[in-house]
Amino acid sequence: MTFNTNLRNIFLVVFTTLILSACSTAKKTGNVDGDVYTGKETVKYLASGVPDRVFFATNKSSLTTASRATLRKQATFLRKNKKLNVTIEGHADERGTREYNLALGERRANAAKDYLMTYGISGKRISTISYGKEKPVNPASSALAWSQNRRSVTVKVN
Amino acid sequence: MTKSLIYSVLFHSVMILLTVLTLPFMIRQPIDLPPIVSVELIQISDKTNIPFAPKARKIIEETKKKEDRVVSEQAPPAAKAKEKPDRIPLPNEKKEKKQIVKKKQNPEEIKPEIRQSSEFEKKEIVDTNQIAALIDKAKEEEAVKQKKTNKLTQSSVKNSFATGLSLSEEDALRAQIFGCWSVPLGLPYDKNLLVRIKLKLKKDGSIMKSEILDHERMNKPGQNFYRVLAESALRAVRICQPLKVPPTGYDKWKEIQLNFNPSEMLKG
Amino acid sequence: MKKIFKILTLYHLIFINPVLALIEVDITRGNLDPLPIAVSPLHVDIKSQEHEGLKVKELGTSISEIIEKNFKGTGLFNPLKKEAFVQKPDIAHIKPRFEDWRLIKAQALVTGKLLVKDEKLKVEFRLWDLTASKEITALAFTTTPSNWRRVAHIISDKIYERLTGENGYFDTRIIYVAESGPKNQRIKKLAIMDQDGAKTKYLTLGTELVLTPRFNPTNQMVTYLSYFRNMPRVYLLDIETGMQEVVGNFPGMTFAPRFSPDGKKIIMSFAEDGNSDIYTMDLETRVVERITNHSSIDTSPSFSPDGKFIVFNSDRSGLQQIYVMRSDGSNVKRITFGSGIYGTPVWSPRGDLIAFTKVRKGRFYIGVMRIDGTGERLLTENFYQEAPSWSPNGRVLVFYRETKSGKKGEGFSAKLWSIDITGYNERRLETKTDASDPSWSSLLSK
Repeated sequence: MTFNTNLRNIFLVVFTTLILSACSTAKKTGNVDGDVYTGKETVKYLASGVPDRVFFATNKSSLTTASRATLRKQATFLRKNKKLNVTIEGHADERGTREYNLALGERRANAAKDYLMTYGISGKRISTISYGKEKPVNPASSALAWSQNRRSVTVKVN
Repeated sequence: MTKSLIYSVLFHSVMILLTVLTLPFMIRQPIDLPPIVSVELIQISDKTNIPFAPKARKIIEETKKKEDRVVSEQAPPAAKAKEKPDRIPLPNEKKEKKQIVKKKQNPEEIKPEIRQSSEFEKKEIVDTNQIAALIDKAKEEEAVKQKKTNKLTQSSVKNSFATGLSLSEEDALRAQIFGCWSVPLGLPYDKNLLVRIKLKLKKDGSIMKSEILDHERMNKPGQNFYRVLAESALRAVRICQPLKVPPTGYDKWKEIQLNFNPSEMLKG
Repeated sequence: MKKIFKILTLYHLIFINPVLALIEVDITRGNLDPLPIAVSPLHVDIKSQEHEGLKVKELGTSISEIIEKNFKGTGLFNPLKKEAFVQKPDIAHIKPRFEDWRLIKAQALVTGKLLVKDEKLKVEFRLWDLTASKEITALAFTTTPSNWRRVAHIISDKIYERLTGENGYFDTRIIYVAESGPKNQRIKKLAIMDQDGAKTKYLTLGTELVLTPRFNPTNQMVTYLSYFRNMPRVYLLDIETGMQEVVGNFPGMTFAPRFSPDGKKIIMSFAEDGNSDIYTMDLETRVVERITNHSSIDTSPSFSPDGKFIVFNSDRSGLQQIYVMRSDGSNVKRITFGSGIYGTPVWSPRGDLIAFTKVRKGRFYIGVMRIDGTGERLLTENFYQEAPSWSPNGRVLVFYRETKSGKKGEGFSAKLWSIDITGYNERRLETKTDASDPSWSSLLSK
């Protein structure tokens, strides 16, 4: 009898310990990997399972593996809906000069467009526009907000 | 009873261990104290107040040292202490010292006339005094300072020889004018902007007459900045009246020239 | 004989020398105190007539207040309080009692008088040097009464010029983007105001996004970026008529526009397939010329005042740096090599300096450097600030700052600031709303 209660107590203590230590390590994994946002918070969907946006590192317009995967899903979606046209919006975070951010947004939009085109989507169906830092999705001044704002968003036009 | 106590202590320590392991370590940064800069305050007026012309001064200098060398061999160190440069003398003391120095020099005026008859001989005197100076360190420092005229600015050297404006008196005048001169910030950092003003002063330090040397430049076209600088200098000098002049020796400082050079201020 | 000769030479050495030398004292330092100046209210002539919309009796005081405010803003002059003034304006203007004015520690005095008659405003002013007890400048103007503010600014310019040797910058305007609304849904309009914050006028409605307006040196036209119909393009706007037209017929986004010093060309960036290069367009012939041809981002171009060179921002080295090239695009030279990134280069109207924004370790700086990139001086540091624009005399920079915002964007504001190129006198400019992207006009009276 005592042995069972002891065992139960031991399990209780170990269990609570694990829960407590798990809480303290949540920051480590997080939603930002190497400066690129990897979370799902601001993401909308063109269709079920097709995220509408990809994210970038500071000052960069290169696509991550995750971004390419997302864009491939978008390409598949666009191939299925042949009459659909889109605009890709390029955005930058607020931590840069305004004019350069306009150019950077343009580069990011085109990086996504070029990738879609390599998957057979006609360039005529895709237009691009840059908003620089003018339309942040997260207005906070934090590293998380900035990573969520560095994005290329695919928007349905028709 | 004891068994459960042991188990309790064991699991508590395990818990504590786990908590400690998951907490971020707090690294203590060493406190950075800035290094202490030692500042030595010296009163240099007694060293710079040399009322005689250069050549004669050197001679008097050497003979003074020669005399002191003799003195130091016999006299106790107390005599030396008075000449130590690090001590800041009280105003009374300073006056006394000046008088003492003067007293010493007066009787010596006769001696150099006998000793020195040619350049060659003067050199000899210098050489022997070099050795003498090695014995008496305090004296040597003073001699070195006098010989190295490049330590003092050219104009102040001229002053100390010619007029009786000691370096500290000159500094007082300079500091006074620093306070009155509002440097026009808009001036370009142009090495050519130097305004020289010649002043004729009254005994109380007020200005009788002021004259800008190169005043033709004032009216030349494109010399805006020169004119602005000259006007600021004139304003400074007028506001500063009466100027801080020495109480005696009017003949020596009744005419002075102030060179206003803003380049240091404008570099910023 | 030898003895006498020796005594004589010694006597000469000791006593003759002092008489020949003249004391020279080097004055190499002064204070940076502003010049105390008394600006007396202008005397209003009793023959003055009423004028609609104007309080003519108070005009003398109003003009002197504008002059005082201008002077105070420079950090170079310290206008003294009126309560201390010793003479009435009409008498002071004819014969000031210099000793009395000097008692209140003034070194300069401004007096004047005005007359409003037959729909005209006549203003006369005098500048006195109190330490020399004489008048040093006197001028008179005639204009329409509604222009009274400009008269105050022109008087300020004349006095500033006389006392500093530099051209003034008071009779100027600043164009900027007036902002309002929540941070992620800002409403932006083009606004123009006098440099002292008066006479604010809005030039667009706020229905579309507008950015980076810049003045034409002749001040009739403005160029800016507009997202009209969701197509970001460079536009021209005539301030007098309100007419807008798109610049050129580019198949993609054009942005970052400026005028050439002669006002005849627009220089800007054009983005094609994601790459931004610099182009110019002649406003008369409509001929478009490509200036840079590089796979990197080339933007924020600015002409030198002689029109022979262009300074611009490029990331061809990997990060944003500043480059200078000839106006035909040849001879591109990088001029910034410090750590951090450099952006928004602007050439001073005096031709001697380039102002820029620098970002280093998460802090934003406004700075100036010589045109070869040497002598970099950072004037101010902040959480976020950028886009300096030069006053027409090349001595003051206006720029804008944004504040940090909270989780929901609260606490966010954007304001215009200015600073002297010596790094002194940093101050905030008054605007009716939040403001960004300022651009300073040239002197209106030239």
